[in-house]
Amino acid sequence: MVETVRGEVGDIIRLDAIVKRFGGAQALSGASMAVKRGTVHGLVGQNGAGKSTLIKLLAGLHEADEGRIEIDGKAYDRLTPHLVEELGIHFIHQDRLLVPTFTVGEALFLGREPRIAGTPFLDRALMRRRSGEILDRYFGLRLPHSALIADLSAAEKQIVQITRALLDNPKVLVFDEPTAALVRREADLLFQLIRRLRDDGVTIIYISHYLGEIAALCDTVTVLRNGRDVATLPVKQTSAAEIGALMVNREIGDLYPKPHVVAGEALLAVNALSLANRYANVSFTLHKGEVLGLTGLLGSGAKEILRTFFGLETATAGSVAVKGEPIFTATPAKATAKSLALVPEDRRRDGVALELSVTENTTLASLDRFSRGVLDRAAERRATEDLVKRLQIKTDGIEALVKTLSGGNQQKVAIAKWLSRQSEIYLLDEPTVGVDIAAKVEIYTLIGELAQRGAGIIVLSSDIEELLGVTDRILVFFRGQVTREFISSQTSTDQILSEVTGAYETLSNVG
Amino acid sequence: MPARQLSVSIPTVTRSIGRHALIAALAAVFVLFAWLAPAFLSGANLLSVLVNNFALLAIVATAMTFAVSAGGIDLSVGTAIDFASFAFVSLVLAGQPIPLAALGGLAGGVVVGLFNAVLIAGIGISPFLATLGTLFVGRSVQQLLTNGGNPVYLPPTGVPDAFRFLGHGTIVGIPVPLLVAALVIAGAWLGLSRSRFGRVVLATGIQASVVRYSGIALRRYTAATYILVSGIAAVVGLILTSTVTVYIPSSGNAFLLNAIGATFIGTTLSPHGRPNIPGTVLGVLLLSIVANGLLLSGLNFYWQQVGTGLLIFSVLAIGFANRKAAART
Repeated sequence: MVETVRGEVGDIIRLDAIVKRFGGAQALSGASMAVKRGTVHGLVGQNGAGKSTLIKLLAGLHEADEGRIEIDGKAYDRLTPHLVEELGIHFIHQDRLLVPTFTVGEALFLGREPRIAGTPFLDRALMRRRSGEILDRYFGLRLPHSALIADLSAAEKQIVQITRALLDNPKVLVFDEPTAALVRREADLLFQLIRRLRDDGVTIIYISHYLGEIAALCDTVTVLRNGRDVATLPVKQTSAAEIGALMVNREIGDLYPKPHVVAGEALLAVNALSLANRYANVSFTLHKGEVLGLTGLLGSGAKEILRTFFGLETATAGSVAVKGEPIFTATPAKATAKSLALVPEDRRRDGVALELSVTENTTLASLDRFSRGVLDRAAERRATEDLVKRLQIKTDGIEALVKTLSGGNQQKVAIAKWLSRQSEIYLLDEPTVGVDIAAKVEIYTLIGELAQRGAGIIVLSSDIEELLGVTDRILVFFRGQVTREFISSQTSTDQILSEVTGAYETLSNVG
Repeated sequence: MPARQLSVSIPTVTRSIGRHALIAALAAVFVLFAWLAPAFLSGANLLSVLVNNFALLAIVATAMTFAVSAGGIDLSVGTAIDFASFAFVSLVLAGQPIPLAALGGLAGGVVVGLFNAVLIAGIGISPFLATLGTLFVGRSVQQLLTNGGNPVYLPPTGVPDAFRFLGHGTIVGIPVPLLVAALVIAGAWLGLSRSRFGRVVLATGIQASVVRYSGIALRRYTAATYILVSGIAAVVGLILTSTVTVYIPSSGNAFLLNAIGATFIGTTLSPHGRPNIPGTVLGVLLLSIVANGLLLSGLNFYWQQVGTGLLIFSVLAIGFANRKAAART
């Protein structure tokens, strides 16, 4: 069992047995959290677990019905946003409004503009100097003071928000889902920044439903479920899978409900396949009922080979055969005709059409099935309703536009498209990126079901635990080669990670 | 619970008015012109609106709707009309039988679409620029073919009656141009909203990469779209030539802006702002009634243009404002 961290003297924030009701709804029913000074403290939970209510209480936006709030050892009956800020607690909200028509300088100092001593005039030089110091120190960049907020990228707007908070020398910074609008590289920069702030003595509360971020970034994590804290754990002694299991109240084994399937005949045979400068001499066979994992760093060739199978890239040597028949000069149209299906990584660009309905997306790859001169729309609706039920897609009906669905449900539509076509070989490229934990488990369950029905599935993922949980075998790509094959049930995360990063190679070179 | 009913029904009512801004505008101009110009309501005038203003524009706008639905536009519909017309007239002058000449005319128009298909689906030039280029090239080619733009007349005698049939004939009392327009509209409606082809065209216009990632031969569909557009436009070339018994270089471009206008007016009829055939047809009807009505009410020609422009603005504004409101709720 895991050891729970109890509140201690070094705690900068202690929330104790907080209860909050909205009308009849119980948002929090005895949630506690103790945040140690100078640490990065993660707060996770599914939608509706009470994360945002708890944070709004801390921000002084709601008042607790019961419970005790202590900040810096002092109990407060009533917090106001102003008081919280005076106590040195600042909040970085992803959707916090920055006035778009203000300049960077105006936004940074809004409401607290320094004046030239003894005059009513703004001290612009001082403003520029102070913000410049922070921008330079933490971000290594200069944002022009005169740039308009509206012209900044999501990442730059976030930098403005963080800089605004840092101008007050905060003791605690609360980040609420900060990476939602960021691309990977920007998120990595944000993580570096958070570690530096912690090293400078700032306490960080980090709210996210991406467990990978929590594992990589936090010292301690508190898991909320149904308005209550179910565990507070040191991150070093836990895993993303354990945190996920706590969030959804399942055993870790249940997160990856993998049925046992005996692999059948060969579906996809890859022989000495090469693509210049991408990958070379890759050979393997995917069988019926098998789930094969691929992993590797960016540029390792794993993604490119998946794209090759679907006809998005053309191999320069070697061959691919589906059920014994070789594929020549592939295009996506030919690949789908050979019963291949790709669920692409960039779901919102390539996977689903956001402005089309659930039905129109679901039947897009299988319109032949519904076309008898004219489209049989009743048959389309029936097929879509069946798939919506089978995949538990949460939507306001099958005519709703896909843009109104959550990320996890959009992904299920992207998969349903191929189920409607009854594809036999599924290529899943990072299938659970940006998908909440409950939908993840549903997607894992679906992968297992497909294998049971005799499909062959290739899962490309950089989430090693996920790969170990859902696949039978894992091929590791490193610099364009398959460097090793693992049997998933007999392998640990560390073994694969060191293979992925080429640690063996590096070590042996050094040794 | 009356209060609750009210809170539900008011937004619903305003939304359906917004959705139907186009129909409301049609009704409004109809009543307005009936009041301003008594001649407007006469059966002869209404028929003339349908045959002279509506029919040909409706066919061109229907073609345009396919291009806009695919996420593009076709600025060279007029070129396809002209090429069809030129080929038709030339073949008749060369003594070919009328049906063969008509087929040749259609082929002449389709050449324009093939050219566009190569530029757009083959090379990957944006539809706007590609068809703009075709428009310019097409104009020059016509000037070269006609010694700088001289009309090609058919002799007043010796032209078979069959030639005039497309423009002036009737079948069971219905003028042929109107009949052809009805057929084209019905076929286009089936093709765009009830067929596999139309669904792919729509999806291409909305998010082309998803179409490609769904294993659909995207470029083939794009090529087919622009060929189809020119083919439909070519029909107008035939009817036009048959009506006036002359080919006038670059005369087809007169339809271009109205066809684009009608297509976009028509998008307001769709809850998601999609191009659609019924909307386009109502858009053409609106423009036709306004053109005829303003003429009858004796307004200055230049004011007619202003009136048409204002009408397009207001229908589009109501349609978009309504869609924004719908997105908020």
